[in-house]
Amino acid sequence: MVTVGAVRTLGKRERADKQEEASSPGGNIASSADLKPGDRVVYPKQGVYRVTGLEQKDIAGQRLEFVKMSREEDGASVLVPLGKVATIGLRRVATAGDIEGVFHFLGATYGDPELDWKVRHRDNVERLIAGGVLGVAEVVKGLHSLSRLRPLPAKERELYDSSRHLLVNEISVSLGVPDVIAEDYVDFALMPPAGVKLPLRTPPTPVELKGPPWKRKKAIVAEDDDLGLAELGIDLGAIEGAIEGAAEGAAEGAAGGEESEEGEAEGTAPAAEDGAEEGVAVPARMAGKVAEKGAAVKVPVQKAPAPRKAPPPPPPPKKAAARASPVKKPAPRPSAKPAARPAAKRPKPRKGAPAKKPATSRLARPKKGAKPAKGKKK
Amino acid sequence: MIRIVTLATYDEGDITHLSKTLYRAFGVGTEHVGNRALPKKAERDDGRFDAIKLLADATPVRAYSDDKVLYITDMELAIPKGPLGEPPAWGYAEQGGDRALISTFRFRPRGVTEASIEVFRRRMARESIHFIGHLWDLHHCYDARCAMHPSWSPSLPDDPEFELDAFCRDKSERRVRLAKT
Repeated sequence: MVTVGAVRTLGKRERADKQEEASSPGGNIASSADLKPGDRVVYPKQGVYRVTGLEQKDIAGQRLEFVKMSREEDGASVLVPLGKVATIGLRRVATAGDIEGVFHFLGATYGDPELDWKVRHRDNVERLIAGGVLGVAEVVKGLHSLSRLRPLPAKERELYDSSRHLLVNEISVSLGVPDVIAEDYVDFALMPPAGVKLPLRTPPTPVELKGPPWKRKKAIVAEDDDLGLAELGIDLGAIEGAIEGAAEGAAEGAAGGEESEEGEAEGTAPAAEDGAEEGVAVPARMAGKVAEKGAAVKVPVQKAPAPRKAPPPPPPPKKAAARASPVKKPAPRPSAKPAARPAAKRPKPRKGAPAKKPATSRLARPKKGAKPAKGKKK
Repeated sequence: MIRIVTLATYDEGDITHLSKTLYRAFGVGTEHVGNRALPKKAERDDGRFDAIKLLADATPVRAYSDDKVLYITDMELAIPKGPLGEPPAWGYAEQGGDRALISTFRFRPRGVTEASIEVFRRRMARESIHFIGHLWDLHHCYDARCAMHPSWSPSLPDDPEFELDAFCRDKSERRVRLAKT
């Protein structure tokens, strides 16, 4: 069991090491044998170090060998285990030729910055570790172009500052100029003064980062092109042709279309008006309109108020029909208003018994309790 | 403490204004040490002065370990040509060091009107804050309203602000706090 576990762990480590090695660009230090005292190396996200020698230490009962390095900027020293030299991304300081390419890259126009901050942050961190000096320049340029759109959030502002520091430091070491001058060069490329045209050449291509598929921009672009619609039996060309044909047809038959639209508008507008009116109107008024226009017109009317406002009228008695018929005859509006009044009175007879004479029925109600019965009895 | 050394003759009012501004910007005492001679060795064939050499050859002044020394000259400065050309030099500083240099050569003429004098003083304050900021390890800032924005940037107005933005101010305050002995 122990052996298996150890083998598995080693396998994971090896895989991780291989991954990191694969993601590293040229110029990386493959093993500790490549290092000599006095060599200048770049420790990712830390800066330029000078190798001072090998050191042995006893740690947890084990005798380990380390490469000792000290940072040129402030003299901070770091010990890297010999076995880790190849995996931490140590690389040589960029040459003057590389640095020239960096300036051409900085001076070139930059595409739209990545707007998804999560993707951007991970990409930037990965570039700082595995992208070489051009990766650092890419981070600076990307965040600089983003800062032109909107102020950077605090975290990215810090990243911008630290990556700028790393870039300036490496440039100054590589070109042998002071840091401030190196920074002037960087900003001269990033934002040249008005009227100055930079002698730019084709910039070098940044190192393609190896990472999860969603990070690979090229792969994403390829996915965009092929959405796999063919598998679903969808032919985009045919759809586009149909859309174009429809657009042409619409353009040709604009007059007819207008007519039809007008027709539709005419057809819909009254309905909408009716709906609007009926939405506000009293149920009795609606009932009057039903009588005037017929049921067909009222079908498109909004359904929500309808159940409230149009309670199924009880089968009209003969007298009610007789009342409605004189309303129908005078078609003009003035007749509709008076028609509404009697309609408003209709619910009252509904509540009570559909008696022949509402007046008598009202009178009969109180009498129902005592007197009418007596009268009837009488 | 910030010590100002002039390598040319300047109006006393300008230097007083500069001292006050630097004190406000960094919270560090500022004083004018006096005039010093311009090192002629730093002059190049084209009549300009090599900024790096000028600062290296400038007469040293007595200062403590955390003191910053600012030299002011009116000569045109030059810096080594870079891969894409030579950026215009408004000054020079040792990043994280203790000596900085600014030149008023590229400023608008001081003039005699109150407005022109004010513009001159503001610009002098801005460039001083910028290069002393480099002494506090500040880098250039993308914000055109910040004094650490590059002096030649096309987005910089004619009469730029001479304040640090929040990030640069915080960073400089941290450095000043750490440096105080």
